[in-house]
Amino acid sequence: MYARFGSDEKIERPLALLRRAAAMGAHLKWAAAAAVVAVIVATVARLAGPLIVRWGVDSGVIAQEREVITRAALTYLVFLVVQYTANSTALRAVNTVGERYLRRLRVKVYEHLVGLDLDFFGKSKAGVLVSRLTSDVEALTTFSNEGAINVITSTLTVVGVGVGLFLVDTTMALVVLAVMPLLIAASIVFRIFADRAYRRVREQIGLVLGSLQEGISGVRVVQAYNQERSQLHRFHRVNDRYYRANLDAAKAISIYFPTVDFLRTASVGLVLFVGGARVLDGAMSFGSLVAFILYLAWFFEPIIQLSNVYNLLQGALAALSKIFGILDTSPLVQESPDAVAFHRDVEGRIRFEDVTFGYDPGIPIIEHLDLEIQPGERLAVVGETGAGKSTIAKLGARFYDPQAGRITIDGIDLRDLRTDELRRAVAMVPQEGFLFTGTVRENIAYARPEMTDDEIWSVAGVLGIETWLRSLPERLDTEVRERGMRLSSGERQLVSLARAMAADPAVIVLDEATSNLDPETEATVEEALGHLLEGRTAIVIAHRLQTAQRADRILVVSDGRIAEQGRFDDLIASGGVFARLQAVWETAENRTH
Amino acid sequence: MFGLFKNYRRDGLLSIVSALVWMVVVVAVPYVEKLVIDRAITGERRDLLGPLVGLLLGVGLVKALGVGGRRWFAFRLSYRAETDLRNRIFEHIQRLAFTFHDRTATGELMARASSDLSQVRLVFAMLPITIANVTMFALIGAVLIILDPVLGSVTVLTIPAMGVIALLYARRVLAASFEVQQRLADMSSVVEEGVSGIRVVKAFGREDLEVAKVDKVAERIYHKTMELVRERATFVPLFEVIPSAATVAVLWLGGIRVADGAMSLGDFVAFTQYLVILVFPLRLTGWFFAELPRAAAAASRVVDLIAKAPAISEPRSPKPLPDGGGEVRFDGVGFSYPDGPRVLDGFDLTIPAGKSVAVVGSTGSGKSTLSYLVPRFYDPDEGRVLLDGVDVRELSLDRLRGEVAVVFEDTFLFSSTIGENISFGDPDASKEQIRLAARLAQAHEFICGLEDGYDTVVGERGLSLSGGQRQRVALARAILRDPRVLILDDATSSVDAATEADIRAALETVMKGRTTLIIAHRTSTLKLADSVVVIEGGKVLAVGSHSELLTTVPRYEAILAEAVEDADEVVPGAATP
Repeated sequence: MYARFGSDEKIERPLALLRRAAAMGAHLKWAAAAAVVAVIVATVARLAGPLIVRWGVDSGVIAQEREVITRAALTYLVFLVVQYTANSTALRAVNTVGERYLRRLRVKVYEHLVGLDLDFFGKSKAGVLVSRLTSDVEALTTFSNEGAINVITSTLTVVGVGVGLFLVDTTMALVVLAVMPLLIAASIVFRIFADRAYRRVREQIGLVLGSLQEGISGVRVVQAYNQERSQLHRFHRVNDRYYRANLDAAKAISIYFPTVDFLRTASVGLVLFVGGARVLDGAMSFGSLVAFILYLAWFFEPIIQLSNVYNLLQGALAALSKIFGILDTSPLVQESPDAVAFHRDVEGRIRFEDVTFGYDPGIPIIEHLDLEIQPGERLAVVGETGAGKSTIAKLGARFYDPQAGRITIDGIDLRDLRTDELRRAVAMVPQEGFLFTGTVRENIAYARPEMTDDEIWSVAGVLGIETWLRSLPERLDTEVRERGMRLSSGERQLVSLARAMAADPAVIVLDEATSNLDPETEATVEEALGHLLEGRTAIVIAHRLQTAQRADRILVVSDGRIAEQGRFDDLIASGGVFARLQAVWETAENRTH
Repeated sequence: MFGLFKNYRRDGLLSIVSALVWMVVVVAVPYVEKLVIDRAITGERRDLLGPLVGLLLGVGLVKALGVGGRRWFAFRLSYRAETDLRNRIFEHIQRLAFTFHDRTATGELMARASSDLSQVRLVFAMLPITIANVTMFALIGAVLIILDPVLGSVTVLTIPAMGVIALLYARRVLAASFEVQQRLADMSSVVEEGVSGIRVVKAFGREDLEVAKVDKVAERIYHKTMELVRERATFVPLFEVIPSAATVAVLWLGGIRVADGAMSLGDFVAFTQYLVILVFPLRLTGWFFAELPRAAAAASRVVDLIAKAPAISEPRSPKPLPDGGGEVRFDGVGFSYPDGPRVLDGFDLTIPAGKSVAVVGSTGSGKSTLSYLVPRFYDPDEGRVLLDGVDVRELSLDRLRGEVAVVFEDTFLFSSTIGENISFGDPDASKEQIRLAARLAQAHEFICGLEDGYDTVVGERGLSLSGGQRQRVALARAILRDPRVLILDDATSSVDAATEADIRAALETVMKGRTTLIIAHRTSTLKLADSVVVIEGGKVLAVGSHSELLTTVPRYEAILAEAVEDADEVVPGAATP
């Protein structure tokens, strides 16, 4: 329950983090100020309570003035109404500010995230990126829900009660304060132990879940090898360490809270002992004693609360620094401020002019590449893994900018084009396409959600997949992914091709699928692919012979340079790199058939 | 649910006893304070002040010990029970047969052993204090009425009022937080999808669409959270104000009664103290009862899982396995998966000891099923499967599975060292045995090339090996046990030509003189086997060598083409970048 979100790393420059976080919420500053005012009013109203009781007891009960008692009671009642209203308003206001802030933060972080380079996604684990928008933002939510208001209330209460104690009776206030160092020391010691224990709990729960997961997904192997018992032993060990870590944390709690509890009783005893003597001496009124006892109840709670808040704050800071980590990553490829649109319809002439590029600028992958692709030409790029074929494709779609040279489409440098214009003209399509949760219709119309059904059907007609689409249980309304049916790999490719067709780009950069399909589906996909590429400039990263064969021109890439290029037959005839590659492919493909 | 915890009576009893002690003392403290005020201060007996405050400190000490004991024993009990239950769940999951695992998602089982258990645990950790709290309400009620019947009766009414409000609040908040959790899960899946599909998003420049999806979910989270906030803003201040309102009543009614001399000043102070004491226990109790139904549901899910009987179990009196070379016989075997079509129907086949057979058939022809029936991952509906003349159902599972090793289509490696993965079936295997097995499986060379050799950690939390490497490690794992029967669910699907050649060489060595059943997905593997069995419609269609079948069975080629349709193939030099 405690230290749930504590961070395991040390947080650098917490104040700078907070300042930056606050700056992002500048639009909420008036709402935040109003919330703080409400919190202050509520706390003051609450703190006034014991003073009213003192007045009632001293001037009413002891003086036997019944009217004063009534007046005190009624005054208290009024204060209670104020207290309730202010408290309720404050809670709502503080949380509203927090939630509005987080609502915007989520969108802002995600917006930034999807704007980052593909390279970034390649390097980061998907799970980690997801956690920035889930568990990290939720750590902030917890702080805003439970922490923020507590910081204000608890601080105000401690200060207010402190002041109240001194107002009522200075000597007594000093007596109570004498207990404070003990309480604070106990809290610090507890914090240290609890933090350590909870860190171990977090580590161990990770291991338990890991073993559990492995035990479940590997259950078939376990049974095949009769290792149920040894697996169980392993699990027992991990599970037991988690148990022990929990017990350590429980021990810290089981010692700290009784200690605080005893300190509280002791301070009441102290107040009664010293205060009782003072009342007997006539140095203090009886009402003051009652007020003191009432105040004491409120003095301890906030201090315990503050130590909890400290934890939440640690968690929130850790989350903030991770979230800022995303926001501080800037995409290498950015739209230039004076980017232009195409002047006329896109023809699709692509030119690489003396292009040099490397993911690490010191290690060029592509060097001094010159290449021109005519409108409507189908270019197959082949080569060994790591030769740079997909790098050429990515440069052509401007997922990266070259370090030297330039790449143009219809004569315009890609860097001078507006991003939306560029994406509309050039689509980089993985043939084994990712489908999004939703209907087949939504997936096909991904690039243009405003497409009508007629338009979608006509796209399907052109690709020759109408019959297949009609055979789906709910046709275009068929849900795919989790909620819907499982499409086969070939069927996913068909949807993916239709999606590209619907986007209708002048230039297609296609990453050919590597998986084998059954002959019938294969034929359908091949046919659809042919229709898709018709009349478009196409750069195809080819993984099979057939595809290379069908291209207008083959570009053989080796070590970032063009080793050969030309028509299929010519390359075979010349007996160069491609001819050798072709021989390997042929044997590989024959073996399976 | 409570039955789950009967093994922990001692800690349970200790925590309940300490909770009750704590509770009695909690109720006693304001009374002692009252004594100090009435006897010493207003009674002007200065000599009593010291001893009475001493009494208060003593009582305070007992109270602290009570709190400590209550927490400690309750925590220990609940964590112990949670840990034991998790062990039991794990053990049971390991024993449940394939039929169960085929139908159950990993995430679901994970939830049983994690979130469901913690929900159950929490309720049990809170049970002692709830028992004490409920008793406390009664006791404080009684004390208040005894202290002053008139004022007592009035203030006691606040207890049920607060109780009802606390329960109502807890219920509403739990319901609302559940909804918020759902929306947060939506957020997670939307972001996950956007991140996994980022190539498509960027290909079509539809970042805006993805952001709009997140915006929509963020908006829903905001609305649901604000509903939760409204509940809290309505109720939480009430918990503060109600006891204060009762204090007003005490001040008013009580003050007048004190002024009249009908009540002592000490009683008056005690009253206000009791009211403060009540607040937190009331909220906690409300929370407990609101949480109870959900915890009960979680507990019943856990119990259901543990109570499930494994479909495959040890025979009562297992027969000994006679010496033999590992002859496998399918005798009139009929099989269908639960709710599935009939896969095998009157299937007869004998694999002579030491011989190898490759099985071909189209997807769904039941060829993989054959491999599962021998080590009893499933039992046939009809007929028998015999190993060296004994029905496999009459052998002890230990003995049977020790003699039949399966290399699965998807090679699962555990997060431990390669050495441990190879010796998985026999954790006591010596280093030499492990190396020998690896050599036979043509894995030794690449393992030695790894930085830590056999100590390299692989699996989910370690180095990821290539498909071909994983396969050879799995093969080494299978042959380490020197089984009579080797079953290969051939999955050379994810390897390139060079690796495939390596694996084939490995297979040739390990198959020598060992009964082997190969489920073939590729034509090239067929050549390894002594004979090829073609199955169709759950029966044997033909048996013979690959070349014989090509000439004698006209449908053979068509079946082969169909059989390989699922197998992925990778062309050398053209792997995805």
